[in-house]
Amino acid sequence: MDRGDSKARFANVVIPHLDDAYGLARWVTGNRADAEDVVQEACLRAFRGIGGFTGGNGRAWVLTIVRNAAYDWLRKNRAPAVVHVDDLEAVERMRLADDAPPAGDNPEAALIARADEVKLEAAIASLPAIFRETLVLRDVQGLDYREIATITDVPIGTVMSRLARARRRVIEMLGAHR
Amino acid sequence: MTENDRLLLNAYIDGELDPAHALEFEQRLAGNGPLADERARIEALRGAMRERLPRATASPELRRRIAALARPRPFAIDWGARRGLGAKWGAMAASIAVAFAVGSAATYLAIRPDRGEPELLVSSHMRALMATQPVEVVSTDRHTVKPWFNGKLPQSPRVIDLAAQGFPLAGGRIDVIGLTPAPTLVYRARQHVISLTALPGSLRARGAIRPIDGYNVVEWTDGSLAYWAVSDLAAPELENFAKAFRAGEAEP
Repeated sequence: MDRGDSKARFANVVIPHLDDAYGLARWVTGNRADAEDVVQEACLRAFRGIGGFTGGNGRAWVLTIVRNAAYDWLRKNRAPAVVHVDDLEAVERMRLADDAPPAGDNPEAALIARADEVKLEAAIASLPAIFRETLVLRDVQGLDYREIATITDVPIGTVMSRLARARRRVIEMLGAHR
Repeated sequence: MTENDRLLLNAYIDGELDPAHALEFEQRLAGNGPLADERARIEALRGAMRERLPRATASPELRRRIAALARPRPFAIDWGARRGLGAKWGAMAASIAVAFAVGSAATYLAIRPDRGEPELLVSSHMRALMATQPVEVVSTDRHTVKPWFNGKLPQSPRVIDLAAQGFPLAGGRIDVIGLTPAPTLVYRARQHVISLTALPGSLRARGAIRPIDGYNVVEWTDGSLAYWAVSDLAAPELENFAKAFRAGEAEP
């Protein structure tokens, strides 16, 4: 592919998803400057690899590259954040099955519905990276399970369990201390 | 509430169940207090996220830098832009360079990437074009650029004034090629940018260099250093630049 074609494809495939790319990088890295570094690196990779894009879901393709670049960044700069996924999943599974939320008129739901932006962000930011990205891809960026599975490179079943755990955790954090 | 119920509940809320299972689950929800309560909490969370966490937008600055990749030739570099991310990258490259310089001058000469200098140099050139500006030290005065390198690298390149030949100096930066920090001079040719990197004499081209992603690469040596010029200038024009630089070098 010559350079002109690469540029045209890059403009058509990547540029339209720049906001999503930045949004995902922002949530994974936790701040604006690092997110911009990640997006820039990802775009360079996307530009070099545009010949390998076979068509189909451009957004998922772009977000996959952004996600990988973001994790490379995390590994370099935030090593402890990506640790022990297996341990974590075991712990989460236990809590998920055992937890019995109180019945009643559901004041918790009202509390959650009123949570302000700062509280919401803090609760989501405190999630381990793999749960955070799943929740953000679904509820902030609006992707479906299949797309999330593609981007995060796991089976749909794993997406489902990560999403359920991520939501449960955030609900616990926001609904506590009535 | 079993784990499976929770997964189904989430999938139901997200509209991911097929119609038959969705209907079945809906009937279970109606008669199950805890499940219905959890549904209300999840819906509340989704609503709050949707309302209060707007989708992020890339800054105009970032957008401009990324768009530069896809802009038709020639690249229009915004020379007046303030230093943003570029400065940060520069600081990082400089600190790497300093670490190497402290290591010893021998490091600079000894480390040889296995292969692929042309690709690495084109990557550096592209990265620089994407940054706010492609130079760390902005100057058209070679007497400013050379001392800047002296403070950071064991060896600094000859800085030659080629404004009269149509290639005004724009400044300089430090690239890291493989593991080798290397001084890069940046010249302009009309609206095009030329990156001229000085590598140790051992890092010479092996055979002819083909254009990479539309960038032309020209290499020559002055006997001790290998000079690599990268630009999207047409090949004959880049050759002219190389000639002009070599002629300038030959002068005392």
